Amino acid sequence: MNIKTVTIIGANGTMGCNISGIFASFGNAKVYMVCRNMESAEKAQIKATMSVKAEAIGKNLIPKTYDDLEECIGASDLVFESVREDIDIKKSVYEKIAKYIQPHTVIGTGTSGLSINDLSEYFDENIRQHFMGIHMFNPPYNMTLCEVTPSDYTNTDYLNEVKMYLKSVLHRNVVEVKDEPAFMGNRIGFQFINEALQYAELYKDNGGIDYIDSIIGPFTGRSMAPLVTSDFVGLDVHKAIVDNIYKNTNDYAHETFVMPEFAIELIAANKLGRKTGAGLYQTILNTDGSKSINVYDIVTKTYRAKEKYVFPFVKQMIKELKVGNYASAFNKLNNNHSTEATICIQFLIKYVIYGIVTTKSIGENIHSADDVMATGFNWVPPLAVIDAFGGLEAFRQIAIEKSSKEFLSFIDMNEILKDLPKSKYDYRSFFKAK
Amino acid sequence: MNRKVYILGGAQTDFERNWSKEGKGVIALLKETIDDGLENIGLTYNDIIELNKQGKIACFVGNFIGEYYINQGHLGALLTEVNPAFYGVPSARYEAACASGSVALDAAITKIKAEDYEIALVIGWELMKTVDSKVCGDYLGRAALYEEEAAGIDFPFPKLFGKLADETVKKYNLNKDRYLSNLAKISVINYSNAKKNPNAQTKKWFMNEEQANMRGTSTNTTIGGMLAISDCSQVTDGAAFVAVASEKFIKEYCKEDNYPIVKGWGHRVAPMRFDKKILESSDNAYILPWTRQAVVDAYHRANMTVEDIDFFETHDCFTSSEYAAISSFGITEPGQEQEAIESNRIAFEGDKPINPSGGLIGSGHPVGASGVRMFLDLYKQVTGKAGEYQLKKADNGMMLNIGGSATTNYVFIIGNEVDGDRS
Repeated sequence: MNIKTVTIIGANGTMGCNISGIFASFGNAKVYMVCRNMESAEKAQIKATMSVKAEAIGKNLIPKTYDDLEECIGASDLVFESVREDIDIKKSVYEKIAKYIQPHTVIGTGTSGLSINDLSEYFDENIRQHFMGIHMFNPPYNMTLCEVTPSDYTNTDYLNEVKMYLKSVLHRNVVEVKDEPAFMGNRIGFQFINEALQYAELYKDNGGIDYIDSIIGPFTGRSMAPLVTSDFVGLDVHKAIVDNIYKNTNDYAHETFVMPEFAIELIAANKLGRKTGAGLYQTILNTDGSKSINVYDIVTKTYRAKEKYVFPFVKQMIKELKVGNYASAFNKLNNNHSTEATICIQFLIKYVIYGIVTTKSIGENIHSADDVMATGFNWVPPLAVIDAFGGLEAFRQIAIEKSSKEFLSFIDMNEILKDLPKSKYDYRSFFKAK
Repeated sequence: MNRKVYILGGAQTDFERNWSKEGKGVIALLKETIDDGLENIGLTYNDIIELNKQGKIACFVGNFIGEYYINQGHLGALLTEVNPAFYGVPSARYEAACASGSVALDAAITKIKAEDYEIALVIGWELMKTVDSKVCGDYLGRAALYEEEAAGIDFPFPKLFGKLADETVKKYNLNKDRYLSNLAKISVINYSNAKKNPNAQTKKWFMNEEQANMRGTSTNTTIGGMLAISDCSQVTDGAAFVAVASEKFIKEYCKEDNYPIVKGWGHRVAPMRFDKKILESSDNAYILPWTRQAVVDAYHRANMTVEDIDFFETHDCFTSSEYAAISSFGITEPGQEQEAIESNRIAFEGDKPINPSGGLIGSGHPVGASGVRMFLDLYKQVTGKAGEYQLKKADNGMMLNIGGSATTNYVFIIGNEVDGDRS
């Protein structure tokens, strides 16, 4: 597939902008960056250049506005829509561009929540065949995951050609996922994150938010603790994702997608997270120029200094991880019967199970959940967690022994854990000694 | 002492990893590398204990300057912290700046040839991301004559290799623009080869010729004379492991018998100070005559010529050093290096590919590990185990590992005993 010219609609948004950089650099494509006005398009052009750390691509990035749609779309081999996650806004954009689309042009949407089938309905039959979801993760220069989702109408040959282009030219880790709410990465990732948020409420008297983050922090296979991630993404975005999944899916984990009340209150108060200066956490600039981190206390409904929790199992695990004793680290976790260690191991088990169940239902193959979590979230992928616990048999025993009765009543553990391969990913780099 | 030395295999860490960010230290780094290396060669820690009882095994550790980066010396003995199986195993650290890996290999190979031991484990490593890039540059300055060439100078090595670029242009009366665009091409070949290497530091990074030629811009700042960031290898954490063994070991312990062998080696030391190097070479056709001599020695010892070498792994700490290596290898006459670059002879698909792994610029340069990593990459190529970066024809490979400003020069040739038996 020869993609020489690309139009990104909504190129001033974070994703639109960064994705422009990917097409213009690795793809060496001429990219029309369509924004609401020239000023924001010009700003986005500079940002896109810096996102791939290469001024050489600046000449490939052409700032444009909606007034130029005819020229841009007509000349494009690929059109990527990255406008706000609002079906009416997307519909109006599709109506505007439809008449200029060339017969060979690929149309991709960067939606992270809307149905590809529903969106495809806004195009006529010819165009529909070339329409698909192309969902990248932020920042795409570091996160190489690209979830590709065809609609029922997408031409398979075309889909395969686009996948090949994304993989071999843009160096994306391409995973085809079914047209299910939030696709796969966010479905698995936000199951974990939202349940962590629910646990923060459940354990609010123990400390809540920072308490839970201390139990399932970087030493459990991620760069950032889950609620720090939510704060980073923004509670509003978090809510949109989990609401969509809750409304449109119905699997055993359904109730874990309900956002707790305190978080809804924070959103109402515009405390969305890092982007608004406060959310689950709050960064305080001290008079001496140093920074300190506060956390929202769910009980008192105020911010307080973040606690430095010391749980013996965490201390022991980090000590072992620091010197590369991975097996000992997981033994320490497994042999500790404190409330915190139990929460920790249960979260890891639930994550593995949900990852496998989800990949079986909407992924390309058994490794898809691993691909999305490793390259979209930089989290230890589910099958790699099994490897870390000493392989399938050891994990099965631990999972049955450690899971709550309630959880075991939802699922058939033996069936889910039957005949699983080893992960393609090495678990070691994901477990941080911190 | 012309006994054969076989290469059993090995392993390396993913050079993209930042061990400080992971919160892990040298013991974790060594443990992972040695675990993976032993698994690759089919040896266990119990085997090490048994071999050691019979005095058949020793370890050779390559590291440049752990005393500064992680406040740790006595790095041969440090292996005892990795696993008790190393208690009692002869082990020492070898140092020759960025050629530390090679001097460890050389010692290991020599001990096997001398029949002192039957198997030698060689581990090269460096953890460099414990400090910021400026401090890192200062530490590395100790590979030059520190007081004269590095003290108080920001990024001394880019400046020394920037001087090599200046001197190259001067010596061969090159067109500067053409020379710089050839350096850009060297950089791009390395970045693009690294895309195929799952252990490469830059596997996600973007580079093209235009960007590499945009020296002096904010995304490609100039750092040493003519050289910019795109001309440099980066600060890297990592380790590499290889095992070499005697014929006796192969017969007694191994299932296979078609391991590649070390066919030749060269080791020459040039004047430490860069200006003395240039002064000394003023009437020589080669700008780095001792680098060339190390290559010639290796060809001679292997009874081979450049015609026999299918590919090279070179020490592209900077593009200017790879440029000089082209004629040192004998791919072109000195002063004609540009021909091999412009005609793509040194590209992945060329007839004399250099750095199919991505080299130091593409795959990373944890200084004490680089020599061992190159040796491992030669092994992978000649045994057909290089995965996506496997070359079609790779029976014999040459590596050049340098320390300082091309002060210590180490060359090895690795090849299959019978050509074409597994390509």
